Amino acid sequence: MTTETESTPPAETILDSIAEAPADHYRVLKISDLDGEKLYELSQFMKLSLSQEDMLAIQEIYQEWDREPTDVELEVIAQTWSEHCKHRIFGANIEHEIDGEKETIQSLFKTYIYDVSHRIFDRKPGFVLSAFHDNAGFITLDENQAVCLKAETHNHPSAIEPYAGANTGLGGVIRDILGAGKGAKPIGSLDVFCFGAPDTEMDNIKADDVLHPLGIMRGVVRGVRDYGNRMGIPTISGAIQFDDSYIYNPLVYCGTAGVIPIKDIDKEVGAGMKVIAVGGRTGRDGLHGATFSSAALDTESHEEDQQAVQIGNPIEEKKAADFVLAARDEGLIEFITDCGAGGYSSAAGEMLEECGGTIDLDSVILKEPGMVSWEIFISESQERMVLAVKPESLPALRKLADLYETELIELGDADGSGILKVTHHGETVCQLDCSKLHNAPIREMKSQWTKKTEAVEPPLVENAGEDLRSLLSDFAIVSREPIIREYDHEVQGNTVLKPLAGASGDAPQDATVLRISGSDRLMSMGLSVLPEWGKTDPYAMGTACVDECFRQLVASGADPDRIAILDNFCMGNPDDQEELGALVETVKGIAVAAEAYGAPFVSGKDSFYNYFETEEGPVSIPVTILVSGMGIVEEASHVTGSSLRHDDSVFALIGHTQGHLGGSVFARQKGLEKAEVPSTDLETAMESYRKYYEAIQQGLILSAHDVSEGGLAVTLAEMAFSGKAGLEIDLCSVPADDEMSKAALLFGESPSRLVVEVAPENLEKLADLFEGLPFAALGRAAGEHRNLRIDWGKETLINEPIDELKSLWKNGLAQYY
Amino acid sequence: MEERPCAVLLKFPGTNCDEETARALETVGFVTEVIPISALKPESLVGVSLVVLSGGFSYGDYVMAGRLAKLVTEQKIGDTLKEFRDNGGYLLGICNGFQILTQLDLLPAGSLVENTSARFQCQWVTLKNRAPESPFLSHLPDTFEFPIAHAEGRLVTQEESEAKGYLESGAAALTYTEDVNGSFEQIAGLQDESGRVFGLMPHPERFLHRQDHYDPDWSHPSDGDSAEGEENRGSGYYLFRSLFESVTSASS
Repeated sequence: MTTETESTPPAETILDSIAEAPADHYRVLKISDLDGEKLYELSQFMKLSLSQEDMLAIQEIYQEWDREPTDVELEVIAQTWSEHCKHRIFGANIEHEIDGEKETIQSLFKTYIYDVSHRIFDRKPGFVLSAFHDNAGFITLDENQAVCLKAETHNHPSAIEPYAGANTGLGGVIRDILGAGKGAKPIGSLDVFCFGAPDTEMDNIKADDVLHPLGIMRGVVRGVRDYGNRMGIPTISGAIQFDDSYIYNPLVYCGTAGVIPIKDIDKEVGAGMKVIAVGGRTGRDGLHGATFSSAALDTESHEEDQQAVQIGNPIEEKKAADFVLAARDEGLIEFITDCGAGGYSSAAGEMLEECGGTIDLDSVILKEPGMVSWEIFISESQERMVLAVKPESLPALRKLADLYETELIELGDADGSGILKVTHHGETVCQLDCSKLHNAPIREMKSQWTKKTEAVEPPLVENAGEDLRSLLSDFAIVSREPIIREYDHEVQGNTVLKPLAGASGDAPQDATVLRISGSDRLMSMGLSVLPEWGKTDPYAMGTACVDECFRQLVASGADPDRIAILDNFCMGNPDDQEELGALVETVKGIAVAAEAYGAPFVSGKDSFYNYFETEEGPVSIPVTILVSGMGIVEEASHVTGSSLRHDDSVFALIGHTQGHLGGSVFARQKGLEKAEVPSTDLETAMESYRKYYEAIQQGLILSAHDVSEGGLAVTLAEMAFSGKAGLEIDLCSVPADDEMSKAALLFGESPSRLVVEVAPENLEKLADLFEGLPFAALGRAAGEHRNLRIDWGKETLINEPIDELKSLWKNGLAQYY
Repeated sequence: MEERPCAVLLKFPGTNCDEETARALETVGFVTEVIPISALKPESLVGVSLVVLSGGFSYGDYVMAGRLAKLVTEQKIGDTLKEFRDNGGYLLGICNGFQILTQLDLLPAGSLVENTSARFQCQWVTLKNRAPESPFLSHLPDTFEFPIAHAEGRLVTQEESEAKGYLESGAAALTYTEDVNGSFEQIAGLQDESGRVFGLMPHPERFLHRQDHYDPDWSHPSDGDSAEGEENRGSGYYLFRSLFESVTSASS
């Protein structure tokens, strides 16, 4: 795994020229005399990923303190200021230009995420219990318990070493949950991947050492499988996008939900507490992960940066998890956080940033001898948790550590000094005023966006049945079953609505629903990722992603007024104004939708520099947002799946169908990449979702499926995959734009639409409920045959045997995985 | 007050189905205690009616499923589990627990090796009840569904004829109705000669409720004699129910 440094005779490096070594294990670096360029060279050499401006700011801080930094201190500051930990682009001042109009945005995060969410918190007192400051945000489940959700990306490691990258990606986000509040119990995971197409030609990969998308996919899936399954956390929810733009920079999102007693959410570190660590040992694996993920990849990354990829050991984490949950239940934890990016330096930094305290590196149990101070302090070795505890709790904690066979070390003390002090071999190797650490310079950036869509003529649909077959075989739509079955999605025994369900057990569902032990309420998990939309209209992508995630949750039975969401961004080069502009527009889109739906953001994360220097120039990913969410389901009887249940029921469509085809899989297949993308009528949608929820409460809905990739025709086919009956549908009364094309009616992907199945006697009741909203009866289940028949007035557009459609859909990915 | 029988669940590093299995046992009437292996002593089983080895990945199953768990158990308590069985105790192994019981030679000889698909398989399977008189299966119908979730569930014996023998002798208490993972004779679960030691790959603890089934319209294929409140039970419940009744009637 480790890559030895080149053995060419050492020329004097920038580091050598300024370093003094008071001892073998740390160095003092004379930076006061360096100019900006030299400082930047130093940053590059040490792989700090700090800009010249950052380095100058650090120089100034040290001038004020009238001393020189140690290498440990510089590493700590680099971790703290890294994009990965500090999200400096989301905090930047951005001069943004949209279609020629200029505006200034002071912090995307504050303006569009934080402020929007806080307005919703005010409107819904008691719903969100914690957001943005802890490892994950919590919402109220019932009077005793709260649930949380957190998602992360592990893109760069997964590009280089897919198995280990994805393995530790999931391991890391599970630790986030264990470190949320005083320790939440992980109850379900999601994974979302963006890869190049499985059938990518090798010749189309224009750089050395880049892994083929299939190799990446197989490695990533197995990495998630082996961590999640061994931890005993069901992987219940997910999505995969295939697009050439992800060949060089695959995206791997991992998320985990947790549950906690409400009384254990608040945590605080106080002077006099002991800082302890439990779990794995510390080694050289995972050095510079935080700074590594804050830079672009190139072919050399594949050779040089293997050290930055950690190695996972799920059993080590399982033991630590058992310990943490038992210690929490015994009231032994005052504060806890995970060791993620930046290792002890960011965990201890976060824990001691206000209180201050001493960390003693001699206490750390090492995987290998000879590690110097900075390596120990920033190592991202996996499976470690850091806790603050009362000294008198130590004996009980030691007993628990023995019981669950995990190693516990006394890492240091919290002392109230406000200073983070690190000692090693009896010497102070780092002494920093924590409050100074968090004042990274605010970046000034520029962005612009011009709409990329144009009016295009919708293509004529000559053989809708063939088009439907071709859509059901598209990588965007085919069944993810081969992957889903590799994940244990039922461990813990609470997966009520499974990712594959319906009478045949293999039909797709919108959201997944978990029972929560000790509560009558359940939690639904949903997600949306629509990068194709963002290529031409990122604002529409933002609104549509929030809408789709929200709609999935509502469809599955969640209360539309008790939904919280997460935003996880990935993008290419933020220094490219057009790319940053797309990000800004996406953020605006999710913000306006979140506010309209009253669905606050409770956590989020971003990943930049997902671009790659190929032989033919840099390739960036499109701005990609994953909106994931959790919703509260009031009772088990509200849980609603997406598969046809009865052979005598009737079908209705909720929502308006627009003529635009942009972003759809159909448009991609027909080469209409620039077609206009549908917009989201947020007010009407929200009203419809509330009515739908009333229908759920009245027990009117048998099943419901969101209209998404592939449009209405694919939605209907998927519902019929339960095999219970055929379908006879007529589109003549579908609420739609004037002058609709067949293409848009059948295959357009307008948001906010749901197909519902109801008993015939309940149709009128449902129609009454939707009075004044876009709603239409669609047709009926036909017990007498097993065809999907879709008419448009007198014309039959589609009449296809469902089992043939299903076999196309079911086998599309199976041949590659 | 009537004394409820006590079930002990052994927990190895990597065991991860202990909570829901304990919940299942409590639901039917057992008192449960989860004992991490580090704390296990021979006397831990005094007064205990049932020992359960639940699912998971003991020690990661990196060597061979259940191998390290066997070695550590023997090191900790020697032959105590065999004595426990000889003294009338019941032993249940689910998934990884089945693998461990097999390793411990508490079940008829056989190994659980990698599925022929070479994959982890999380799916529902139909099972045939071949030992309706078994203390573990008495309340279960002739065929029923349970979920499975394993990568190493293929039961093999030295000679394929041994597995055939298990069908004839009744040791093969549960079989899949189709080839799921390459198991010889489609064996899904084994019992020992006493009938009090039982191991199976499927997970009954994941099907306690009707709603746990993938089909929202699933109902228990009962003959109408299910007592009130039982209509929302899943088939898994009845395995634990059978066990509880056997344990309580044996001790009374």
